[in-house]
Amino acid sequence: MTDPTPADLDIAPPRRAFWRNLSFVWVVPVLALMVSLGLAWQTYADRGVLIEITFNSAQGVTPKETTLRYRDVSIGQVEDVTFSPDLSKVVVQARVDKNVAPFLDQEATFWIVSPQVSARGITGLSTVLSGVYIEGAWDQEVGVPATRFVGSDGPPLVQPGRPGKRITLLAEDGRLLSEGAPVYFHGVRIGRLEQPRLVVSSDAVVVDAFIEAPHDRRLNTATRFWDTSGFDVSFSSAGLSVEFESISALVAGGVKFDSVYEGGTPVKPGHVFTVYADEAEARRSLFAGTNEAAVEVGAAFGESVTGLEPGATVRLNGLNVGEVVAIQANIEETEFGPELRPLARLSILPESLGLPRGADRDDVLDFLEAAVAKGLRARLATTSLFSSALVVELVELPDADPATFQRDSEPLPLVPSVTSDLPDFTATAQGVLERINELPIEDLIEQATAVMASAEALLRRDSTVALPDNVSALLTDTRALINAPSTQALPGELRDTIAELRAVVTDLRQGGATERLISTLEQADRIAANLATASDGVPELIEELRAVAEKANALQAEELVTAARQLLESADAVVDSDATRALPASLNAALDEVRGALADLREGGAVENANATMASARDAADAVARASKSLPELSARLDRLIAQSEGLLATYGARSSFNDETLSALREIRDAARAVSQLARSIERNPNSLLIGR
Amino acid sequence: MQVHDMENARRTQTLLTARRAGLLGCRRCGAVHAAGTAGCRRCGSALASRDATSLQRVWAWWLAGLLAYIPANIYPMLLTSTFGNTLENTIIGGAIELFQHGSYFVAGVVIFASVMIPIGKFIAIGYLALTIDHPGTARGLERQHLYEVVEFIGRWSMIDVFVVAILAALVQLDFVATINPGIAAVCFALSVAFTMISAQSFDPKSLWDAYEADDT
Repeated sequence: MTDPTPADLDIAPPRRAFWRNLSFVWVVPVLALMVSLGLAWQTYADRGVLIEITFNSAQGVTPKETTLRYRDVSIGQVEDVTFSPDLSKVVVQARVDKNVAPFLDQEATFWIVSPQVSARGITGLSTVLSGVYIEGAWDQEVGVPATRFVGSDGPPLVQPGRPGKRITLLAEDGRLLSEGAPVYFHGVRIGRLEQPRLVVSSDAVVVDAFIEAPHDRRLNTATRFWDTSGFDVSFSSAGLSVEFESISALVAGGVKFDSVYEGGTPVKPGHVFTVYADEAEARRSLFAGTNEAAVEVGAAFGESVTGLEPGATVRLNGLNVGEVVAIQANIEETEFGPELRPLARLSILPESLGLPRGADRDDVLDFLEAAVAKGLRARLATTSLFSSALVVELVELPDADPATFQRDSEPLPLVPSVTSDLPDFTATAQGVLERINELPIEDLIEQATAVMASAEALLRRDSTVALPDNVSALLTDTRALINAPSTQALPGELRDTIAELRAVVTDLRQGGATERLISTLEQADRIAANLATASDGVPELIEELRAVAEKANALQAEELVTAARQLLESADAVVDSDATRALPASLNAALDEVRGALADLREGGAVENANATMASARDAADAVARASKSLPELSARLDRLIAQSEGLLATYGARSSFNDETLSALREIRDAARAVSQLARSIERNPNSLLIGR
Repeated sequence: MQVHDMENARRTQTLLTARRAGLLGCRRCGAVHAAGTAGCRRCGSALASRDATSLQRVWAWWLAGLLAYIPANIYPMLLTSTFGNTLENTIIGGAIELFQHGSYFVAGVVIFASVMIPIGKFIAIGYLALTIDHPGTARGLERQHLYEVVEFIGRWSMIDVFVVAILAALVQLDFVATINPGIAAVCFALSVAFTMISAQSFDPKSLWDAYEADDT
């Protein structure tokens, strides 16, 4: 019997779970997979947005290399550069960072940055080595994302989204308005110009400008722009001045602006302004028809308006308050019949009169009416010493002719005007200069020297020396004549004559002529009194007139000098002539003859003749006495004449228009005289000013 | 071929392997035990005639290597900045560029070291691992040779990584020229490391097991 061997145990090894067979090493590929997938997903998620930018030329743009930058930070890369279907444009495809892409709305602009040398400096120098890149600019607000853009040729004027105001400028001449040219306000650059472009519909050049905040608030309807390109040379009474804003403006041009009056209303972005050639024109343009608030009034002038042109300013106490819109002829009914008078249409701006904003036509007319009642008058004035252009001046003349503001006059309300004396200052000043220039002072001195020499020669002659002796001899003879008895008898005759005359006078007195004369004189006195009251201002005026005369005299210097020279010349000629040289001798001879004559007188009964003459005088006195009989008649006639004169003078009474006219004329003369005197004084003080102008 | 076959067969038949002798060697201390012993009586480590997880680890590292190899080729290897202009080069792109510049030799080396060798390694390891149970027509010795080549060449696959490391360290001239390693360099290094580990995880003894199985 064999021991039963236990049956082989069918021991199955413990069944190990599938996962327990797995090596932990599998973690590695799983991790790797996760990392790879993560990377892939991240790359995909971070992948930028593909955008298309269309350029005219893609100079230097290389796919996969050229970067897209915003504020100089790379935000993407160019993927591809292709052409538009018609080959007219280059299409640059670029990927932009995802977090930037939402900002890319239609406002975004792109341009290729390459080295550029311009008047404003050198830009993009770094791209010389690194190659070009595409710079983008957009605002800081998330907009509707766009993927197609049109690239611009250069950087935009300002970063989009920058606060400020974009306006449009209209210029006649775009030559000096280059892209990027500065916009100045009181000399500070606060904006830039964009590319000037021509308008299809007109000849004007249009350029957009961007005014940075907060200065954009300075823009209003009162704002005017003017060109400051290049430099400005002005020669005026203030002297020669050369002005330019900056070297940049000198080269690249620029515009400047300012408010030409207070209280303009703010403008919206896109407002169109006109660029004027210079500041003066800009300020003149203030009233260029665009201002609907302007009120038109008329002023009729009783004098020539030569030199007054549409566009001339209207000044009130030196302030510009409007401009002359038009000058037309106006028939005015006067007492002498219809009269043609020039009528200037004045456009007055309420704002510049200091009236509150919103003042209407009635307010302006009320203002003018009140002002006219206080003496406001329109008159013509010159703009400057060296210009013949005229402006209309509204001046307050409290003692002016009373006049009213003809509010309901047709076609326009009329502001009364006064005539003004408008001396031709230009001509005068020039004349003075020329005359002074032409003064032949050297000739004069030569002449004087020659005269002196001749005179000296004359005095040294022997005959001249002998003259005194002859004179004393003559005197001796004369004395002898006077001492003659017949001469002594003369007074008696004279006395008789006087007695006769006295008789005549007595006759006259008896005839009542004296009374008439007295009354006549009294009347004359009254008239004189009238005249005196009528012309209170006369002494003052006379003073002024004298001053004028003096000034005029001063201006006549040239004639004086000429006369003096002529005088000296003739004196010279006289002294120099042989006759003059012979004069002493002639004088001596003459004295001899006189002496002879005196002797004759003494001997030949001259005194008797004198007596006869006296008798004749007596006869004459008789005739006078006879004639005086008719004196009363004459006196009456004189009386009538004086009465007529008095009537005539009465019309020139105290407040007559003639008087006023005269007064104002004289005042004008006074003003003119003052101006001339100022000119004269300043020339006196600084003669150089005539040459150098200051 | 017949001759070889014969030789192989004869050799395997005459060979005495440890397993056939019923013995088991400790992989740690080398002590010999009887087959079936669970733990080494000397050092206490687990005993197994064949590493059961070997193939798993091979495949795991192989897969990891392959996964790492994909980004290594997609992402840039070198970031070259010259004058502010950054160029990104992938391995293939760089090689093509070199080729276009006429540096055929260098391009060839790059292609060989960075593309052909890694891909060859993947194929070789994959082939070995796949055919471990079904040797098919392949000879055991040839597979052994293949394995040895793969293991030997693994350490030379890092040429690219070395080049990048050296360039990145040397060329730091700021604006003029700067070279930085790209993410692909890391991936490539990982890929090479993984394949090396994969190759090492391979138990060369199992290459021969298939032939032994035929005998028993």
